Amino acid sequence: MRGPILTVARREFMTRMVTKSNIISLAVMVGAIIAFGIAGKILVPDEIEPEPLRLGLDPAVSELATHLEAAPAGAAAGVTVEELDEAAARAELADPDSDPRLEAWVTGEVSAPTVVFEKDPDAEVLAIVEQAARAATTARAVADMGGDPAALESALAGVAVTVDQVVEPETEIDPGQMIVSVVVVSLLLFALIGSGSMIAMGVVEEKTSRVVEILLSTIRPGQLLAGKILGIGAYGLFQIAVLGGAATGVVAGLGVFPDLEINLGLTFLLTVVWFLLGFGVFALLFGGFAALVSRQEDIGSVTTPLMFALFVPFYVSFFLVPAQPDSTLTKVLSQIPFFAPFMMPTRAAVGSLEAWEMPLALLLTALTIPVLVWISARVYRRAVLHTGGRMKLSEALRGPR
Amino acid sequence: MSTLEIDGLSKSFGPVHALRDLSFEVRAGEIFGFVGSNGAGKTTAMRIMLGVLAADAGEVRWDGAALDLEARREVGYMPEERGLYPKMKVADQLQFFAELHGMTAVEAREAVERWTDRLGVGHRRGDAVEKLSLGNQQRVQLAAALVHNPRVLVLDEPFSGLDPVAVDVMSEVLRERAAAGVPVIFSSHQLDLVERLCDRVGIISEGSMVATGTIPELRATGRAPWLLAWRGAEAATVRAALAAVPGLSVTDVEGRADAVHLAVTDEGAEQAALRAVLGIAEVTEFAPDLPSLADLFRDVVSDRPDLAEVSA
Repeated sequence: MRGPILTVARREFMTRMVTKSNIISLAVMVGAIIAFGIAGKILVPDEIEPEPLRLGLDPAVSELATHLEAAPAGAAAGVTVEELDEAAARAELADPDSDPRLEAWVTGEVSAPTVVFEKDPDAEVLAIVEQAARAATTARAVADMGGDPAALESALAGVAVTVDQVVEPETEIDPGQMIVSVVVVSLLLFALIGSGSMIAMGVVEEKTSRVVEILLSTIRPGQLLAGKILGIGAYGLFQIAVLGGAATGVVAGLGVFPDLEINLGLTFLLTVVWFLLGFGVFALLFGGFAALVSRQEDIGSVTTPLMFALFVPFYVSFFLVPAQPDSTLTKVLSQIPFFAPFMMPTRAAVGSLEAWEMPLALLLTALTIPVLVWISARVYRRAVLHTGGRMKLSEALRGPR
Repeated sequence: MSTLEIDGLSKSFGPVHALRDLSFEVRAGEIFGFVGSNGAGKTTAMRIMLGVLAADAGEVRWDGAALDLEARREVGYMPEERGLYPKMKVADQLQFFAELHGMTAVEAREAVERWTDRLGVGHRRGDAVEKLSLGNQQRVQLAAALVHNPRVLVLDEPFSGLDPVAVDVMSEVLRERAAAGVPVIFSSHQLDLVERLCDRVGIISEGSMVATGTIPELRATGRAPWLLAWRGAEAATVRAALAAVPGLSVTDVEGRADAVHLAVTDEGAEQAALRAVLGIAEVTEFAPDLPSLADLFRDVVSDRPDLAEVSA
């Protein structure tokens, strides 16, 4: 024999779980996540293996070769230099299929080189050639003055600049982290709307079908509400675990964001913790308020304000947190229990949290739940046997049973 | 033995007094018929017994102790407004109710099979309730009240919507449960059924019990007049003869010119009346005109003209 709360919870879980439509829709969603991951893997190009910059050199200016090869080549993996005569160089430059590609041909004089491009001059190549020309000219001049060009070069190589700033730089938001936080918060919103609606419909279904009278002859209204929230919560958690697990698995397994510096395991755990708390807050409200109406078509009148209460914190964490990750408004709002389940995971994902903020928000939200339990159970108990039109909230809060 | 006692229940909904100091008892092994016009307070009383509503005053006791949540798990309840989960399968649903009442999964499964077979819906166990006909839904509703082997039965209109076969099965089940020592209370507007089935009857009007007792007890309230019918004489002649008999008042029998009702005030006066009429006419009927439950019910209700028009 189970306790009545667990018996109710089990029914709620099983009747939702073991339906064809549920199994199909879950499978479709998991499939979509995996497909999305694979598509992301294909569409987001792997970083191109950097190739060396290939330059042709007129034998007349072969003196430039060592200086060109020593030049910092930006994104390219160094510079390779090849001696070519004019005809060969021009032919290769004109050939679009030449591989490896010849970027340019350098001719003229060492102190005044000419750079021949296929078409548009490349600034990077120009800078490299110019620097090489300067270095070669400097080396010539030093040698002419009787100095040692090699000693000069090693002295120059030892030059180092240290950076200091008067104003600290602002927290930079990594786009990858932002994507993760959007996914986390959307998942939370999706799960809360889904579970909240299920709870509201479940409560009204029992009222409409009058089965609630049989239930209440056996168990307390609080037990019924608790069992319902527990069962639907478990189902919602199952969904978020399957979908979130699939998403985490895809991201980790396929390496969709290889440079992402986020601990996905911890993000997932935080999502679950905040889901539980957010669920506690909103499910209680959905359950208690839904008891005020008696017909499915009236559900909207109680769920709409609650949906609004879900969307406001969602959009705030969506827009405010990235825009002002360190503002006082963000810090204050993210401590409010209705906002915290959305804002805290977002802030954690973008890494703008101070150590004390998350524990405080967790505590505040956790403390709100018993208060909501009391209010919801009171509304539910008084309203659940009421039939006909919508019952006023104030009536349910104070009227006799 | 365990008696169900309803002691001084009062309940108001705003200005409406639904129950006024309602008291009665249902003994172990007794089938108690709960009769009253619409709005008399039957359903409110039953809801209070089951704890679905809270009484303003009074108490419901079973076996000498308050019928609390724990004890209510032993009660089988069929609410007036039927309630089942429409999309849940019959067997799953009954299993759920049985477990909610404290049965183990194994006991529950066995009980679900037994009761669905007994009530003739065994072949529909795997179907969602909404796919069943109303009559079959009604049988499932009964099964839901019986499945946990309750030790008290409170049934609000259990017979409404049942076909004659189901009525017979239901009657048999109630008798059987009563024989096992279970107090059974049910409400009904089918008074012939109540008369046939019940050990005792309570008539409720405007929230208070106006009469309780066995059917013979209710009939023997002194109201029962004698019916005297005759042949071969004018009514006026007979009435003249009866007028001479003391301790008697004579009233018409509706729709009959050859019969009168004799309300006896002096014991034995009806015998004197018989002798008087035998001298002038041939007597064809002479017996106490026992009222049916419907008559008793109308009597009770017609004392309250505001209710008479809605009486069943």
